[in-house]
Amino acid sequence: MATETAVDVVMPQMGVSVSEGTITRWLKQEGEQIEADEPLLEISTDKVDTEVPSPASGTLTQILVQEGETVDVGMKLGQIGGSATAEAPAQESAPEPEAAQEPATAEAAAEADAASPAETPAPTAPEPSAAPPTGNGKAFVSPVVARIASEHGVDPSQIPGTGSGGRVTKKDILAFVESGGAQQEQPQEQPAAAPEPAQAEAPAAPAPAPPKEQAPPPKPPTPAPVAAGETLPGETVEPITAMRRGIAEHMRRSLDTAAHVTSAIEVDFSRIVAVRDKLKKEYQAAYGVNPTYLAFVAKASVETLRDYPYVNAEMRGDSIVTRNFVNLGIAVELAEGKGLIVPVIRNAEGLNLLGLARGIAEIANKARNKQLVPDDVQGGTFTITNPGGYGTFHGTPVISQPQSAILGTYALVKRPWVVEDDLGQDVIAIRPLMNITLTYDHRLVDGALAGRFLRDLRERLEGWEGDGEG
Amino acid sequence: MAELTYLQAISDGLRTEMRRDKRVFLIGEDVGVYGGAFKVSLGFQEEFGPWRVIDAPLAEAAIVGGCTGAAIMGMRPVAEMQFADFISCGWDQLVTVAAKQRWRAGTPVPMVVRLPSGGGFSGGPFHSQNPESSFAHIPGLKCVCPATPEDAKGLLISAIEDPSPVLYFEHKHLYRRIKGEVPEERYTTPLGKARVHRDGDDVSVITWGAMVYTADEAAQKLESDGISIEIVDLRTVMPWDKAAVLESVRKTSKVLVLHEDTRTGGFGGEIAATIAEEAFEDLDAPVKRLAAPDTPVPFSPVLEKAYIPQVDDVAGALRELAEY
Amino acid sequence: MAIAREAGPVGSLHEVREAGLDREDLLGIYRHMLVTRGVEERGHILYRQGKIPGSFYTGRGNEAASVGVATAMGPDDVGTPLHRDMGVHIVRGVDPWRIFAQYMGRQDGPTHGRDGNVHMADAQLGLIAMVSHLPAMLPVATGCALTFRIRDESRVAVGWFGEGASARGDAHESMTFAGTRKLPIVFVCDNNQWAYSTPTHLEYATEHVADRAEAYGFEGVVVDGTDVLAVYREAKRAIDKARAGGGPTLLECLTLRMEGHAVHDDAFYVPKPLFEQWAASDPIERFRTWLRDNAELTDEEEDEIAAGVKRLLTTALERAEESPQPDPSTLTDGVFATPEDLDTPHHK
Repeated sequence: MATETAVDVVMPQMGVSVSEGTITRWLKQEGEQIEADEPLLEISTDKVDTEVPSPASGTLTQILVQEGETVDVGMKLGQIGGSATAEAPAQESAPEPEAAQEPATAEAAAEADAASPAETPAPTAPEPSAAPPTGNGKAFVSPVVARIASEHGVDPSQIPGTGSGGRVTKKDILAFVESGGAQQEQPQEQPAAAPEPAQAEAPAAPAPAPPKEQAPPPKPPTPAPVAAGETLPGETVEPITAMRRGIAEHMRRSLDTAAHVTSAIEVDFSRIVAVRDKLKKEYQAAYGVNPTYLAFVAKASVETLRDYPYVNAEMRGDSIVTRNFVNLGIAVELAEGKGLIVPVIRNAEGLNLLGLARGIAEIANKARNKQLVPDDVQGGTFTITNPGGYGTFHGTPVISQPQSAILGTYALVKRPWVVEDDLGQDVIAIRPLMNITLTYDHRLVDGALAGRFLRDLRERLEGWEGDGEG
Repeated sequence: MAELTYLQAISDGLRTEMRRDKRVFLIGEDVGVYGGAFKVSLGFQEEFGPWRVIDAPLAEAAIVGGCTGAAIMGMRPVAEMQFADFISCGWDQLVTVAAKQRWRAGTPVPMVVRLPSGGGFSGGPFHSQNPESSFAHIPGLKCVCPATPEDAKGLLISAIEDPSPVLYFEHKHLYRRIKGEVPEERYTTPLGKARVHRDGDDVSVITWGAMVYTADEAAQKLESDGISIEIVDLRTVMPWDKAAVLESVRKTSKVLVLHEDTRTGGFGGEIAATIAEEAFEDLDAPVKRLAAPDTPVPFSPVLEKAYIPQVDDVAGALRELAEY
Repeated sequence: MAIAREAGPVGSLHEVREAGLDREDLLGIYRHMLVTRGVEERGHILYRQGKIPGSFYTGRGNEAASVGVATAMGPDDVGTPLHRDMGVHIVRGVDPWRIFAQYMGRQDGPTHGRDGNVHMADAQLGLIAMVSHLPAMLPVATGCALTFRIRDESRVAVGWFGEGASARGDAHESMTFAGTRKLPIVFVCDNNQWAYSTPTHLEYATEHVADRAEAYGFEGVVVDGTDVLAVYREAKRAIDKARAGGGPTLLECLTLRMEGHAVHDDAFYVPKPLFEQWAASDPIERFRTWLRDNAELTDEEEDEIAAGVKRLLTTALERAEESPQPDPSTLTDGVFATPEDLDTPHHK
């Protein structure tokens, strides 16, 4: 077959593992005629020496690789037919357009990249498959992000995500945790970062994450440099932890949002003490659970809330939202003053005394052992805090937003108390008393309502019925 | 140190052991006069004689079974399959006899079967396979898959020294393509110890054999985009270095498991499952696998390119993970 | 038409003495055959008592073939006996109590409960444990012979297979390789005429399995497998030849499997007259008669041997039943060998 068009002579593959060959002799010189299948040159490889027959009939128009040279399998060695151009071998080996799209080997691919400008563009262009960030704050939380969030008490939804669909990546959360400094440097942006109360039902991840090449995720950091002379002798400086930052932000926001008013009431715990003494052994033995005073208060509170829906409510935008359930938050102090967290017992209205006692013990343990998952601290509707452990008899806690009230319980102490004896005479008795406060959002809860709530709560506690099965 | 091809490093390792230990002998088809289909044992018969470099009949069961008997008799046989694919003919001897002998009868079987494996040059369905996962599944067999010339020598010596049957998968596509510095003296590379081929922060690739180089080319492509890839070369598939894999996963939290073998039942599945079990809380993206499709290895270059994971496939998968 | 040499029976004591056996040896062979059968008979009882898990296989009818070949082996020779070759284990010196422990899956069986029935061997006695895939041990035995050739040792490997397994490629590959290299190996075919329920004419088309040997370039011999002395004579000849560098022999021992394939098989497919015909040449009874006729075996001697065997087996059974069950916590030990495992005479 004679040919007008150019046919390449290439280094053949003489065995599956052979990658290169050496030209030992050209049997024809440039310009000579050759028939197809007539020996054209001799080559030598690791495995075998052989003749290479001509792939076509025509003129040997070009010899590109000289005798003694070693080249890779597939490399063009010469050309039969066509016109003799003085192109360099490297250019000759530039693949045809199809080959540029589907280079046959990695090497060829590399060559194609080098030779074809069309192949070079922007590896930086985002892959179409990567979904654009949506920033709706509901993006998937990966296992590692959930773990880091739990370890550092961080809410992933508060972190700008740079992952697919605005997802918070491990890098994002690590940067967030490690870079207190990033926020310190832009204090003016902090208020904007705090969601407005009206949005609070679904704490949104702030703005949609911008495309990566424009704004890389915040780099953790070079620790914020302390200006010279700012530390006085005797002062110690420590970075603010993410948890402390979260608490600070939340406390400030709550006071800025709710109209805090506190009312207090004294409750005679005689009956509770007696019931508890009776139950304590039984609960411990049968269930391994301690029926704490807090559990009694929780039980009575949940029952009382049924009659006072506003105390278990939320102002959401232009609406007031009440519930037929109580998700009871219990404020838990972490070890060594590391911070405060409010895990939630869901559907507390369905639990009896034992269930509440167990629930309180479980969430407190989880909180202290850093085993809380995001769900454990979300969705509370009413909170009880117990600062009385150290003997305090009064306080004004801050409401956990967006709830409308928080109940405080204080030290149980024996006090002289005026009671009526059997003859209707006033006598002084020694009674175990506890102060209980209700701090409420006066925007929603009126003082009289709060008073009635506390009255009913006291009646429930003082007149405790049954042994807790209720 | 000398610069050797992967193939020369294998020869070097085998020659080193045959010179050192008279119990070591090589048996296989055409390994003697011809020097082996790939010339690994070129010149060996001249040096060691016809009873230590044994041209066997075309009888894989007799070769592998013969090595089993010889190993039990105290020899250190090295069998060469002409292609890894042909080990199917010796399956019974390997899986039924050699693998189980120590466990059930207390008789160790210290033997090595060398298996030229892998595709990339139109070997077709019977000269291109990567059957390591089939054997990694058999209790009692070890599977070695070196990627570099240095490892090829060190791992072969370890395999010969090992008291259990070891399958040594030597990738044909690396034979003459890959060169590297190889110490001239005898040394061993421990089985079950992975190697970090490339250090990176964003995504880990767990792979072995020729795919180490495919992964490396992909990593180079992504480097300019600021994506940093770590490549863990397992070196041995059984035992496999779980600790090294988990360490890399804990570092990057994103993983691509890459192999040239087919996907379903490939050893990558075992690795991915282990990561899911033992490093779940460290994951920032689903564990991704990239492997050949569940078909025989095709012959045509176009089809084979579609079959074996290519640099662009790997780069694409890595980019997807980086952006997840 | 047969190609293999059909060996005749052994006649006189004189002929036996020429083969290298004295009267003590003969009584020893008789005793080994009794122990072989006794172990398997007691195994049957244990099985019916529910003390043996799984199935149970015996070599009833093959006692002369297995004992005869094993007696011809030298102390340094090695072999890969199968489930019909209990006699080989007995002759090589495996304690019967360990065989019972093996049957019952106990800790003191040679495989410590990891494998069952006769899938066992004592490597110290030159035996390699069989697998169920037959004749998969032939390539292994060939490898042993290859080793002896490489190391230039005057040892011989004996590889057993059945006429059923002769159909498989392992047999062909082993004999091809052993033939081309003139390896010191004897291939012993236990031809008991039934591969489970398949008769010989559906297993091979030649008259004898041993007829194939010629095609592999070595001698094939067929011998009456119920004649222990004839088996011994032919095995000795083949082993000596191999040891002297004369290459392999295929020795076919013709017997009848006198029980089912395993304990669950009543062998209904074997014609009754065939059983009756072969029962008439029961190997033990045949040899006992020969000893009485040719070697002056007395009633007293016979009783003494029988009583000794009975004592041995009773004691063995008691000891085996005391062997503990294997410890499940050790299940995953030893999947891979350790360097310490290689600390054996073979691996020095």
